[in-house]
Amino acid sequence: MHAQVLRFFPWYRWLFVVLFLGFPVISFASSYTLYIKSGSWTVNGSGGTTLPVWGFTDAPGAGPMVPGPQLDAQEGETVTVTVYNQHTKPHNFVVRGITTDQTSIPAGGSKTYVFQTPKAGVYLFSDTLNGNINREMGLYGAVVVRAAGGVNKAWTNGPAYNFERLWVLSDMDKTRWNSVAASGGTVNTSVYKPNYFLMNGMGGFDAMRDPNTVLEGPLGQVGMVRIVNAGQFDQSLHFHANHFYIIDRDGTRLSSPEPGDTINVKAGTTAMLLYTMYRPGDFPMHVHTAQMETANGVYLNGAATLIIGQ
Amino acid sequence: MGAIFSRFEDSRRGLPLSGLCAMTLGVLLVAGLVPPESFAWSRTGSTTTSTLMGGGGGGGMMIGGGGTDVLNAANGPTLVVRQINKTMHDGANVKFWVFCASGSNNCRLPGPTLELGVGQTANFNLNVMMAPQEMPPYQGHTIHPHGLDVQQSEDGVPETGAAVLGDNYSFHVDSRYVGSHMYHCHVHTVKHLEMGMYGAFVVKAVDNLGNFVNVIDQNGPAYDYEWNWVLSAVDPAYHADNAVGDSTVFADYNPKYFLVNGNEGLSKTAPAETVTAATGATVAIRLVGIHSVDGTFQIKDASGASKSFVIYNRDGFALPSAQTVTSADITPGQTMDVMVTLPGTSSSWYPQITYKSLRNGAVYTNGTVYARLNF
Repeated sequence: MHAQVLRFFPWYRWLFVVLFLGFPVISFASSYTLYIKSGSWTVNGSGGTTLPVWGFTDAPGAGPMVPGPQLDAQEGETVTVTVYNQHTKPHNFVVRGITTDQTSIPAGGSKTYVFQTPKAGVYLFSDTLNGNINREMGLYGAVVVRAAGGVNKAWTNGPAYNFERLWVLSDMDKTRWNSVAASGGTVNTSVYKPNYFLMNGMGGFDAMRDPNTVLEGPLGQVGMVRIVNAGQFDQSLHFHANHFYIIDRDGTRLSSPEPGDTINVKAGTTAMLLYTMYRPGDFPMHVHTAQMETANGVYLNGAATLIIGQ
Repeated sequence: MGAIFSRFEDSRRGLPLSGLCAMTLGVLLVAGLVPPESFAWSRTGSTTTSTLMGGGGGGGMMIGGGGTDVLNAANGPTLVVRQINKTMHDGANVKFWVFCASGSNNCRLPGPTLELGVGQTANFNLNVMMAPQEMPPYQGHTIHPHGLDVQQSEDGVPETGAAVLGDNYSFHVDSRYVGSHMYHCHVHTVKHLEMGMYGAFVVKAVDNLGNFVNVIDQNGPAYDYEWNWVLSAVDPAYHADNAVGDSTVFADYNPKYFLVNGNEGLSKTAPAETVTAATGATVAIRLVGIHSVDGTFQIKDASGASKSFVIYNRDGFALPSAQTVTSADITPGQTMDVMVTLPGTSSSWYPQITYKSLRNGAVYTNGTVYARLNF
């Protein structure tokens, strides 16, 4: 009997069994290294441009990323983030709702942040210094905290989903903010007229093609959308083809999900919603606010992506 | 996904066959435009005053609404697009493009209210003959039934294949949709929405005979009156003749005029609209957010004290439980159905919307629009 078991389950298959059974109970400790850099960012498509930005990246030899790298963790996990400031100005790294250290990392310096994720959800990380200027310049991103065990649930014992998307929204005023700050000038923060509106760092031209942004799935499947508004304008996002259900509004879980076809995600806040793929075909998802649909006035290269029911 | 942009180009070439058919059909349907639930209006200056006449569109008496027509979307109405001019409080003249019922001279902002019963099949048309429009690639118009979650072919989005030179729209919705939605043109919406191409789209519960029932949502309470509030803001730069195509005009938004049902309402003594209801009655107020800024709705009495109201639906879907509040935010693209119960003694209340900056919530100059509710 023992020999038969070993024949059916040689050593390498036992390894899979151990890994499979062990996965849900292993407590992970994620570790990330980020670099703050200056550089440029290109919005493709008609109306697009190349903007000077400051951003986080996880590759020491690469330019800044807008938004910064997605930081993944699970509920209750200990996360270590080491930030190297490779820019000429002081910066910091704050995870809204999780970390509190807002002291600066001097130019050329570094700092290590260790924190425990409080609960599953989505969190904005950003540089909070220099008014809103450092954030506007591109120094932001998201921490995604999933349910323990990596199950497809919004949180432990929370609502289930089939697939997930992260939308980091932002806006940039190229002329009055990015170009001025990047050249060492003084930004007049009382005037902010953003002319670029981004989803995951892209205008609609790219965001309608990007598989990590487009809400695409078989009919009946539930997409979980985590939204972070890293910009300074409130964003009112309209979904075609079905209503969604909001399950978390800026870190507050809703005891009863609230329906809607348009969600307002205020500047600097987050939301989580469930969208069931209902109609076959292609539909837009876009901000419902005049100029925010454009890239410097060019229609549909603003905050817009697609919903594709398969 | 890449096909989207090829369709974007294709949809703007020439006159689709479906558009020709719709235009022909539209001409034939003109005779059936005025629905039985039409009602009478009187108006004074720029302020609309409704009278308690007719049965309203949905069982409860319809009050206010800016004097626009009310059309049953299942009865085959045809909408056309016309240019109108409005004179603002500072004397400025602003051009708008509005939907109006074909054959009707009642072309105003907002466009007609469309009503549809649960389970009934929408059948309405858009005829763009003689319509003001832009040059390619943004010529033509569509109707997007916003919030009704219709199939792609009826969604009115040119980039996903909708005809832009006339069309017929056909769909139906279930009881979850009882409440307020909207419709608007989805061609170059940064321009066309701002120009005034919108109206309320209200889904009604129906009885066994198919008649509209005056309930706020499928399982919600009945109301005695219903009052549509179409919210919008106006940046006159977007309305200029040279503000067309991919213009940098649309890279910035500086609203100067703030409207409810197409009217400014700068003070309690110069409200956007004055309506009258019976004491003790329940009034459903249907807020339809076309505006491109933040907004907060409140009801106050003559002394400025806030009055409670109950939110039943958001975006036309019933909330898990009704919410009693004294203030509610409504942002671009959202709708909200609220109800208020009037006191037993006569007075006047002032429902109002405050339009605010998307950046910091600062209230715009002239950003509070007042209406007056007499009882």
